[in-house]
Amino acid sequence: MKEHDPIVFIVDDDPSVRDGLESLIRSVGLRTMMYASGQEFLRAAHPDAPSCLILDVRMPGQSGLDLQRELRSTGIQIPIIFLTGHGDIPMTVRAMKEGAMEFLTKPVRGQDLLDAVQKAISRDRRLRQRRAELMDIRARFDSLTPREAEVLKLVVAGLLNKQIADELGTSELTIKTHRAHVMEKTRADSLAHLVRMSEMLKRSIAE
Amino acid sequence: MAPVLLDVFIARNPAKEQTRTRALLRFVAAIALVALALWLSLALQVRFDNPFWFFLAIAVICSTWIFGKGPGWLAVGLSSIAALYFFVPPYRNWNVRLRDFPFFLTFVLCQVITNWLVSWRIDTEEKLRRARDELEVRVEERTAELKSANDALLHRMAEQRRAEEALQATRAELAHVGRVTTVGELTASIAHEVNQPLAAVVANADACVAWLGLQTPNLDEARSAAKRAVEGATRASGVIARIRSLIRKTPPQQAPVQLNQVIEETMAIIAGQVLRNQVNVSLELAPGLPQVLGDRIQLQQVILNLMINAIEAMAAVSDRQRQLLIRSKFDGNQRAVWISIEDNGIGVSAETMVRIFEPFFTTRTQGIGLGLPISRSIIEAHGGRLWAESAEGHGSVFQFTLPGADGAAL
Repeated sequence: MKEHDPIVFIVDDDPSVRDGLESLIRSVGLRTMMYASGQEFLRAAHPDAPSCLILDVRMPGQSGLDLQRELRSTGIQIPIIFLTGHGDIPMTVRAMKEGAMEFLTKPVRGQDLLDAVQKAISRDRRLRQRRAELMDIRARFDSLTPREAEVLKLVVAGLLNKQIADELGTSELTIKTHRAHVMEKTRADSLAHLVRMSEMLKRSIAE
Repeated sequence: MAPVLLDVFIARNPAKEQTRTRALLRFVAAIALVALALWLSLALQVRFDNPFWFFLAIAVICSTWIFGKGPGWLAVGLSSIAALYFFVPPYRNWNVRLRDFPFFLTFVLCQVITNWLVSWRIDTEEKLRRARDELEVRVEERTAELKSANDALLHRMAEQRRAEEALQATRAELAHVGRVTTVGELTASIAHEVNQPLAAVVANADACVAWLGLQTPNLDEARSAAKRAVEGATRASGVIARIRSLIRKTPPQQAPVQLNQVIEETMAIIAGQVLRNQVNVSLELAPGLPQVLGDRIQLQQVILNLMINAIEAMAAVSDRQRQLLIRSKFDGNQRAVWISIEDNGIGVSAETMVRIFEPFFTTRTQGIGLGLPISRSIIEAHGGRLWAESAEGHGSVFQFTLPGADGAAL
């Protein structure tokens, strides 16, 4: 298996449940890693690959919900599939609000779990792609000089070159040159593309 | 000895000396009063030519009144002598003429009567004062008695209140047990106990099917998944059997039981768990341990329960070798068989320790918290005692005693 193949993390304190889940998931050709507790999971190194986390809610010490909160607070984004003996509604709502992908009750049907895993992994893959894309765009935008950034702001706001020149107190020709640099550095095909990229960045910062 | 005597001396002498000096002073003062009276009388006599002897009477009264009876009598004596010398003719002479004798006698008599009257008055006053003091002391004593009685009453009231509070707490606890033992709650606990192994069964069975369903079935994986499924099912049925035996209320059988043998059998039952958890077990069983009278299955449940608890208490231990020590011995004095099950696990905190024998108290996420209370009730039903000692972080010792069956050494 390759470095970037998808991987499923399983955190459950009951070894026989853990082994069964692990075997089931491995049987469809996915990579797995098992942990007996949330602490163990946090301590371990995780390969950079699309992944999801199967998490038992009820564990001695740190519960699954505690681990979810800790992951969120440390900024680790990973889709979580919760397993529970008898999940009550408030608990489910809480987990979902915190961003859980799925809430399955034990004993869970194999196919249900596999479906949830596939869905979670493809979502993580999408998210990762988007994150990578965003990082790329950010890097490009970060390479602009302060003056170019100012020009960019006004271009995106829909001002004409002449208006921008007035605003910044310089000639239209200079603005044209800056603008060409901006388009080149951000690798924008058109004005519409530039606007779309800067909107994406703005949204990701807002999030 | 010597210092004590010395102490007594030092303590007593100054006081005694003081009273003696005071008495002396009072006599001297009486003499001075008489002398003053005499001087006044003589001075006035020279001036007015009449015998002013009645100042002497005043001196006697004052002496008795102010300085006490002793000085009073001294004043009477002195003034009589002075009267004889100065005021009975012939003046300034000790001789008394026969016709002046009644005068002198009357003088002395008056002095004596006066002194006696004053003394009587002083005595009466003294008695009165003493009576009043005594009354005060007695009132004080009675007040103290009353106060201590009052304190005792308050104490008893506080004690009663405490007892009432304890009763209330017991009642609340009973109510709690009553509430949690409602069928619904118990079912939920049991459901969770059974659900966990069932989840393992389903997951493993699904995995097994999946491995078999591959284009080239992976038989090794399928086999181990099937094995785990069987394990889980066995675990589930074990839980059910445990619960059934809890609910079953058959009267305990009374037969001679050799506990060493029971321990060895139980070891065989949990051998898998011991291996999986990498626990090092040592047995120190006393040879020739007397048999006990009881229900073999129930006693085995107790031992099994204590052993599983011990193994689970060591699950989180990773910095040292997990040690399970099981010992048996016969206490000749008590005629009792003693069994102890000792682990070096996480131990039990003092707060938890007080509660571990309460029904439905558990520190584990799995488990309904009935193991220890039922174990204890089984041992107590056999006339024995079950108790625990623990140091948090260092492990626990659970031990019980059972009366040895008479003359039944094996």
